[in-house]
Amino acid sequence: MAFDPDNYGLRLFVRYLVLCLIALIFIFPLVFMINSSFKPDNQLLADTSSLRAFVPVGDISLNNYFGAFRRAPVGLFVLNSVLVTGATVLLSLLICSLAAFSFAFLRWKGRDVVFSIVIATLIIPFETIAIPLLLLVSKLPWIGLEGLQWGWLNTYRVQIIPWIADGLTIFLFVQYFKGLPGELIEAGRVEGASWWQVYYRIVMPLSGPVLATAAILKFLVMYNQYLWPLIVVQQETYRPVMVGLGYFFQLNVAWGEVMAYLTLITVPVLIFYLFLQRAFIASIASTGVKG
Amino acid sequence: MASKLTLSNRTGWTFALPGFALIFTFIVLPFFFAIGLSLTNQRLLSPNPTQFVGLENYRQLLDFAVVTLEPERNEAGEVVRDEAGEIQYPRLRAITRSDDHPQYRGMREWFRWQSGENVRVVIANDVVFMKALVNTFLFVLVVAPVQGGLALMLALLINQKLRGISVFRTIYFMPVVVSIVVVSLLWRFIYDGQNGLLNSILQGLSFGLFQPVDWLGEPSTALPAIMAMSIWQAVGFHMVIWLAGLQTISPTLYEAAAIEGASKWQTFRYVTWPGLRNTAVLVLVVITIQGFALFAQIDVMTNGGPRDSTQTLVFQAVERGYGKQDISGGSTISVILFAIVLAISLIQRWLTRER
Amino acid sequence: MAEVSLKGIKKSYGRVDVIKGVDIHINEGEFVVFVGPSGCGKSTLLRVVAGLEDVTEGVIEIGGRVVNELPPKERGVAMVFQSYAIFPHMTVRENIAFGLTIAGASRQEKQQKVAEAARILQMEHLLDRRPSQLSGGQRQRVAIGRAITRKPAVFLFDEPLSNLDAALRMDMRMEIGRLRRQLGTTMIYVTHDQVEAMTLADRIVVLKDGQVMQIGAPMELYHQPANRFVAGFLGAPSMNFLKVDVLDLDGEAATVGNQSLEPIRVTTRRRPFRKDGKAILGIRPQHLRAVQSGKGMLHGVVAHAERLGSETVVDLTLRDDRELIAAFNEDKIFQPGDALELAFDTALAHLFPEEG
Ligand SMILES: Nc1ncnc2c1ncn2[C@@H]1O[C@H](COP(=O)(O)OP(=O)(O)OP(=O)(O)O)[C@@H](O)[C@H]1O
Ligand SMILES: [Mg+2]
Repeated sequence: MAFDPDNYGLRLFVRYLVLCLIALIFIFPLVFMINSSFKPDNQLLADTSSLRAFVPVGDISLNNYFGAFRRAPVGLFVLNSVLVTGATVLLSLLICSLAAFSFAFLRWKGRDVVFSIVIATLIIPFETIAIPLLLLVSKLPWIGLEGLQWGWLNTYRVQIIPWIADGLTIFLFVQYFKGLPGELIEAGRVEGASWWQVYYRIVMPLSGPVLATAAILKFLVMYNQYLWPLIVVQQETYRPVMVGLGYFFQLNVAWGEVMAYLTLITVPVLIFYLFLQRAFIASIASTGVKG
Repeated sequence: MASKLTLSNRTGWTFALPGFALIFTFIVLPFFFAIGLSLTNQRLLSPNPTQFVGLENYRQLLDFAVVTLEPERNEAGEVVRDEAGEIQYPRLRAITRSDDHPQYRGMREWFRWQSGENVRVVIANDVVFMKALVNTFLFVLVVAPVQGGLALMLALLINQKLRGISVFRTIYFMPVVVSIVVVSLLWRFIYDGQNGLLNSILQGLSFGLFQPVDWLGEPSTALPAIMAMSIWQAVGFHMVIWLAGLQTISPTLYEAAAIEGASKWQTFRYVTWPGLRNTAVLVLVVITIQGFALFAQIDVMTNGGPRDSTQTLVFQAVERGYGKQDISGGSTISVILFAIVLAISLIQRWLTRER
Repeated sequence: MAEVSLKGIKKSYGRVDVIKGVDIHINEGEFVVFVGPSGCGKSTLLRVVAGLEDVTEGVIEIGGRVVNELPPKERGVAMVFQSYAIFPHMTVRENIAFGLTIAGASRQEKQQKVAEAARILQMEHLLDRRPSQLSGGQRQRVAIGRAITRKPAVFLFDEPLSNLDAALRMDMRMEIGRLRRQLGTTMIYVTHDQVEAMTLADRIVVLKDGQVMQIGAPMELYHQPANRFVAGFLGAPSMNFLKVDVLDLDGEAATVGNQSLEPIRVTTRRRPFRKDGKAILGIRPQHLRAVQSGKGMLHGVVAHAERLGSETVVDLTLRDDRELIAAFNEDKIFQPGDALELAFDTALAHLFPEEG
C-alpha cells in the first residue's frame, strides 16, 4: 500500500470530526443545563430557539441558585442523599464482601443452596417488588432511642437497609475472590490466621479493584434513587435529591431554578466521574463479564 | 463425610448471614409477597377483608376478545351509509352491555380494523394495561436492537488507536452517570412544542420549513421520543460492555486476518463478530431487562399520556399499587413483568449455553 | 522437631480416589522427598499433613499426636508453596513476620526473629521491599523466611523450586540443603525433579496413582528399585526395558534372552518368574558399553546420537525393531546406520515380572 501523507492527514481529520460530532450529541443537554442555570427565565426560554442556548451570554447571574435555595431545602436534600448513599455504599462493601468471602472460601452446610438463592435474585428487577416491599417496610419493627416502633416509612433506614445487600455485588466479589491465588489464603491459614484474619489481613487488602467497582455501582444506584424514596418518604426531612425535584414543579415552574438545581446535583457527580473515569468504566465493563 | 477440619459451618454462616438475611428479607420475601398478593383482592385502605381470589386478577388484566360488528342494514337488507358514504355499524355497547354476551360485560374497545364489510374490534377488560403491555414490548423491540447496534458502532469507533481517544470514550459514557430523572427533565426542554431545542434545530436545518411538533404531546411521537432519549442516555453503558468484549478478542486473530488479506468488513464479519457472540446476547438481555423496567422517564416526562400512548408495565404497577392503592392489581402486573423477565433470562441461558 | 506418621491414609474427592492407602513414617529431623508423576497425589498428601485437606480414612500423627481434626495452625507445620504465596500487599518484613503478627508477638520479638531469618537467608537488604520488586529466587527466599520464623516442627515444601530457572534452581537447592543442616527440622519436600530428590533426600517416597511404590534412601532406590515403575522413574535417561524370554530358571537366577540379546544369567531377586514365560529386563543406559564385533550381548543399529560433551547418548534400533538408549561417558562420534554391539555387567541388570 502506498503511503500518501495528505490522504492520511485528511482521513485522520475526518475521523476526529466524526468523533467530535458524536461527542456534541452526548454533551449538548448538559451544556444547555449548565448555561441555562445562569439565565433568567425569559431569556432561558427565548435562547432555546438559537445556539445562544449553549453559551453563557446575556443576563448572567447566580440568581437562580439563590432562588433554588429559597424555594427548597436544597442543602438538606443533598445532605440526605450523601448520607444515604455513603452509608449504603460502606455497609454494602462490608456485608457483601463478607458473604462473598464465605461463598468463595469456606465450606459449610447449605452454602450452595444459599448461594443459588442469592444468584437467582439477580433476575428480579427491583421494580417488580417495589409495591410489596413498601407494604413490608411499612410494618417492620425498629428499636430506636424512643423504644420499639412499627413501620419504617419516612426514615433514613428505609432508604438504606433494603439496598445494602444485592446479588450483583456479592457475585462480583465472589468472582474476584475466586480469581485470587488460593495458595495465598492457604498460606495465611498455615501461618495461623483465623478466617476473620484471612478476610481483613489478606483478602481485603488485595481487593482494591473489586471494592472500587462495587462502590461505584452502588453509588450510581443510590445517588440516583427515584422510585423507592418517592414512595417511602413523604417528609421533606428525609428526601433525597431526585425526589426533592418535585418542589420545583409545584405551582409556577421557574425553569432557571430547575436548571440551577439540576446543575447542583449533577455537576459534583460529573466531576467525580471525570476524576475516576477509568474506575467507572472498568466497573461497568466488569458487570459485562458475568453471564 | 467431610470432617470438622475443612467444614466451617459456624464461620461460614456467620459471614454469610447478614448479607443473606438482607437479601432474603428485602428481595426474596417481597417477591413471594407479590405472588401472594396477586392472588388476593387486597387494597391498602379497604373496609372489606382481604380474600383469596385465585387467578381473578390475572383474568381481569389479560382478558380480551375479538368481536365482529356487522353493518347496519335497512329492511331491504342494504348496508346503511351516512351522508359521507361511510358504513354505519351498531355501537359496541350493544355487545358489551347486552345480556346475550355476559362474557364481554364491562370490556372496552382496544383497537379495531376493517375486514370486508365488517369491522373487527378487539375488546379488553383492561385496555390501559393492554396498552402498557404493548408499549413496553414496543419499547424493548425498538430500543434493544437500535441501542445495541449504536453501542457496537461506538465501541468500534472508540476501539481505534488514536491519540486522545479516551477523551471521547469518557464523553460518550458521561450520560450514564447522570440520573435518568435529570436526563428526562432536560429532554423535556429538547422536546418542548414551543421552545424546544429539537424544533429549533430542525427548523434551522430546514430553513424554517419544518413545522414545530409537540413531541411529548402527540400520541404518535411521545413513545418514540422517549425511546430516543433512553437510547441516548444508556448507549455509553453498552458501548463499554461491547468494548470489554472486543478486548477479549486476541490481537493475533486480527494479525492473522490481516496477513490473509481480509478487508475491514471481512475482518469484522469473520473475526470480530464471532468473538462477540456472548457479549451480544448479554447486551441485548441487559437492554431488554432495563427496558421492561421503564419507569422514571414516563413519570417525569409524560405520566403515561397523551391518551395512554406511553403507559408502561412498571408505571401501571406503581400507579395502581401506590397511586390508587390497589395493591393486588399492582402486584399482579409485577408478577407478569417478572414472568417476562424470567423467560428472557432463560432464553439468554439457552443462547449462551456451552456447546 | 517432630516425627510424622501417616497410617492408612485415603483421600477421595467425591467418587475419585486420589490417595489409596498410604503408610509412611518419617523420623524426627529427617528430610523426606515425595516424587512421582504429575497428578499422582503428592500435593494432596502434603496438604493433608498441613491440615488444608481432611482425609477420608487413616490417621495422621505429628510428634506422636493425632492431628486429623486439628486446623493447620495447631499442627506446628510451616509450608512453602510452589507459587511462593507471599502476600503482595505487604513488605518482605511484614511477610516474614506474618505468623508472629497473627500470634500477637511483641514488636521486639518480631524484629529479632525477622532479623534472624533474614540473616540465615542472606536477605537483610531486602526487608523493606515489596514482593513485586523481588526476583523469583528472592521471593522464594521470603516464603522460606516466613516459614522458618515460627520455628515449626515440620516443614512442608510443595515444589518450591519449579518456578525458577535452571541456574537459580541449583543455587536454591544448595541453599535448602544448607538450611536443612542448619535447622535440623523434619522436612517433607514434594518435587518431580529427580535431581532435587536424589541430592536432598534422606529418604525418597515414590508415589504413583495415590499409592507408595517404594520408600528408601536415594541410592537404594537407584540400585535396588522394587519394581519397574521406580526403576524407570529414577535415573536419566531412564532405564531401558527389554521384553525377554525366560529360557531357564535355577534358584537365584534366570537365564533370559531374545532375538537381539544373547542368553544371559540375571539374578531374580526373589521375584517370581516362570520358565518359558516372558520377563522384562531393565538395563540403565549408563551401564551399557560398546564392544568389538562378536563380543556383545546386544546387537543394534545407531538411529540417532546426541553429543553432550561429557556424555554421548545413542538411540539404537535393535534387531527386533525395539528401541534402546545407551549413554557413554565420553565424547564419541556415531553415524546413523552404524552397527553397534553392546555389553553390560549382568549383575547390574534387573529382571522384572512382565506385568507389575
Ligand atoms: N479439589 C479437588 N477436587 C477433585 N480432584 C482433585 C482436587 N485436587 C486434586 N485433585 C485430583 O487429585 C489428583 C492428585 O492431585 P495432586 O495435586 O495431589 O497431584 P500432584 O501429584 O501434586 O501433581 P503435580 O505434580 O502436577 O503437582 C489429581 O488427579 C487431581 O486431579
Ligand atoms: Mg502438586
